[in-house]
Amino acid sequence: MSDMKNRYKIILIAVLAMFSAVSCQQFSDVSKIGEVESLNAVVSVSLNLGSAPMPDALNVKMINYSERYEVNTTMNPNGTVTIPDIIPGIYTITVTSEKSQDGFTYNYSGNVVNVDIVTNNKQITVNVGASKSGALVFKEVYYCGSRTPTGGSYFRDQFYEIYNNSETVQNVRNLSIAMIAPMTATANKPVWPATEDPSLFVYALQIWSVPNDKDYPLNPGESIIIAQMADDHQKSNLNPTSPVNLLSAEFETLVNTTSLIQDNPAINMVMSFWPSPTPQWLTTVFGGAFVIYYPNEPINPANFVTPVGLTTRHYRIPIEDVVDALELVGNATQVQLKRMPAVLDAGAATVGGTYLSVSVARKVKETVDGGRAILFDTNNSSEDFEVMNPPVIRRYGAVAPSWNTWK
Amino acid sequence: MFNNINTMKMRKVKYIYWAGVLMLTLFAVQPASAQKADKNSPASLELLKAKSLWFNTTNGAGLTLDEMYNFSSVDFTYQLKSGDFKKLQDGDRERLLGVSTEGGQKLGTGYAWGKFSFNNEMQRNTQFNTTMLDPGRGMPFYPVDPNISDWKKQDYRLEMKVASQPLWERVILGIQGEYFASTGAKQVDPRSETYFYTINIKPALVALFNNHAVGVNFVYENLVQESGTTNSNSQINHDVYVMKGLGNYYPSVVGGLQSLGRFVYNGNKVGAAVQYSYGFSDIKFLLEGKYDYGVEDVISTPTKPKKEGSVVRELMDARLIVVKNCDNVSRLEISYSNRSTDGIEHVQVLDNTYEVQQWVDLYSSVRSTYNQEDISARLDFFRGADHDYKWKAGLFTNYRSNDEDYIMPHSRMIIKNMYFGADAKANIALGGETKLLAGAGFTYKNNFDGSYHYRGADPGSIIITQFMTPDFEFLKQSYYKIGGELSLYSGLGKMSKAGFYLKAALDYYKPIEGDNSRVQTNIGLGFIF
Repeated sequence: MSDMKNRYKIILIAVLAMFSAVSCQQFSDVSKIGEVESLNAVVSVSLNLGSAPMPDALNVKMINYSERYEVNTTMNPNGTVTIPDIIPGIYTITVTSEKSQDGFTYNYSGNVVNVDIVTNNKQITVNVGASKSGALVFKEVYYCGSRTPTGGSYFRDQFYEIYNNSETVQNVRNLSIAMIAPMTATANKPVWPATEDPSLFVYALQIWSVPNDKDYPLNPGESIIIAQMADDHQKSNLNPTSPVNLLSAEFETLVNTTSLIQDNPAINMVMSFWPSPTPQWLTTVFGGAFVIYYPNEPINPANFVTPVGLTTRHYRIPIEDVVDALELVGNATQVQLKRMPAVLDAGAATVGGTYLSVSVARKVKETVDGGRAILFDTNNSSEDFEVMNPPVIRRYGAVAPSWNTWK
Repeated sequence: MFNNINTMKMRKVKYIYWAGVLMLTLFAVQPASAQKADKNSPASLELLKAKSLWFNTTNGAGLTLDEMYNFSSVDFTYQLKSGDFKKLQDGDRERLLGVSTEGGQKLGTGYAWGKFSFNNEMQRNTQFNTTMLDPGRGMPFYPVDPNISDWKKQDYRLEMKVASQPLWERVILGIQGEYFASTGAKQVDPRSETYFYTINIKPALVALFNNHAVGVNFVYENLVQESGTTNSNSQINHDVYVMKGLGNYYPSVVGGLQSLGRFVYNGNKVGAAVQYSYGFSDIKFLLEGKYDYGVEDVISTPTKPKKEGSVVRELMDARLIVVKNCDNVSRLEISYSNRSTDGIEHVQVLDNTYEVQQWVDLYSSVRSTYNQEDISARLDFFRGADHDYKWKAGLFTNYRSNDEDYIMPHSRMIIKNMYFGADAKANIALGGETKLLAGAGFTYKNNFDGSYHYRGADPGSIIITQFMTPDFEFLKQSYYKIGGELSLYSGLGKMSKAGFYLKAALDYYKPIEGDNSRVQTNIGLGFIF
């Protein structure tokens, strides 16, 4: 009888022990989790203004992209600001300002991205630099493609418009446009070899250049269009529902002509770096990250670098050579997956989907004599760009350069 | 990899299915000589279960004390629902085909009970449910999309309770278990395939002291759900919204390079219940107190798991059942239950070190809470307390309060309802071995409080305007339900206790305001042994 009692005891204990073991870790993981509480963050700035004047005040913006939560405040450039009511999470903190003095407009910007604010009164320092507004800027980019009448996807009508936003003539000879790795916004960033400080470079997947054969001057208020395919995309054999006719584009990225892709009047760009060519220069419809820059030495495709553990070839571009940058992402939440260094673009623009026949375009800051538009250029695409439907080349009165005789 | 796992799971479900069929077939063919002479019928089984105090608890050991007789049944059901008085996640029309078998068998002075059921369901025109087989199961973290779609689902459920004979005339050991497996697929892009299962076991014992019985049982439950999303038309990606509670969400997409990852849910629950029963004269009563505690984690992209959230569930439940069994049977049940769920969200960063590449938790907090409180009472009177009843009548009421909070940014939903109802059945002898069980019921739901305040990031989104707000309006509507049923029963041979029945039932739901309505029709055929 007592044997049987013992057997029952052992079975009962074994069963209870089994239950406890299986559930124990999961229960213990949540046992100390309490209700969420709002936090404070203390923001200060480190100013590196060079010869620029001291700004009067700084605008501070904290964005938690996954929560779609935003806090805005202002601060004195020499002080700190305590920001209350913060939801714990991952934030991008952007500090901006603007000042006009001696006939110049100075932009002050700095940011830190993916800062975790999960403890109270976290101290955050943002390095703020100053620059005069850039001369050449991305004005409008149409990357998401369009739908065909039968619901198919069409992506050959992508274009990139670059605008002279300055007061002086610019020359786009040898200006290069590069798509930066990784191709789409992702948390899985490549790890770069540390032979030189990786933070001083961006890494290109592909680079196209304006021919280095002659000058291509661009007056203030003029723009150039770089088309994937500088054709009338509304033709019946292409996509009658495409929003654009790009026959007047200045440049196109012509590759391996097929029956659909033909050599149009636009000047052909030079394929400077392209390790894995395909029959068209298709940039991702989810939104790539782009820079325009003037190479300080001829681009040699043999001088590629590869990420640690991978064999894909990339080309290193010094950040100091970059003229303008634009980060595009698939939707607003993906801004937290930024690829572009904050010093080049503190935010990101998005049309929020694919094949929508819409573009992103830089907002107009002011219109000066003769109706010339001055566009926002705060190095923060989240602020500078807006979604436009439909895409339009040379909106806001932008003019094609005089050497474009086929416009 | 996952296809293999799913194939193995489906194979396991099939084995269990056939094991269940075999087990219940064995119940069904038990020899007639072991039975009482009285015919078993739908009414007799209803009365048997109403009189059995322990059968309605989570303590399987108590079955021995209920002194139930042997029975078996096989039921086939065809159910149709139609009408627009519904949640958006329900179908405009729903068709369910079901088969179930149930049996109870004395084992000396012990008892065993088992049930197997299989349902195949088609829901037409559901909305805002991309992956959940049961979107109302208390899980706030799941993706939704606005595309109107059909769902096809099927499920298997195996239940068993076994109680030993009294050992040393003092102790009864028992165990109760349940296995539920379900699978389903959404039929329109973004489409999904979802697998869900739970298994629980409840070891139990009852100690006897004269007319007193004290019981205790423990509970362990494991839950797994896996769902993957895809598009049949790879040319068109679809926006989805990953819900976090009370209309808060983050946007995502199905299709393309950044497609929504696979969602995996893994939960465990433990619990315990205590019971006390006492009988004097012709009155028996039972008190039961129950507490369950469970945690369920949700991860996406299992190859590089990212936590979507976790929930912690607590259930407290107390019940009193009193049965007076003399010439007639009177039964009173009063219960109170409190279910609370905490929705936990995690702040994570990807450790991008080449050798590591994993999501790391930085901070976790309870972001939302869900509380449901029920107080209910039901009184039934059965005229004639022998094997069958002549007629029965019942009254019931239920107070239900739902209070849901999203803590930061603060949103809140409160709904308080009171249900009142009455039902009655008459068991009419039509001569020979034939009887007609005719029933009617009326339920009135009175909503006396309801509010929904969303203060999240995007009050203009379709999630708020087209999903949360219409569903809230539905939940707080007062309505009445009128129902009726007819069961025609006939014995199979004079020497046998077996019989069969045909059943038809109809329930009609109508809100107090508005022109909506919903009709549920049931047609059934069953054999009882």
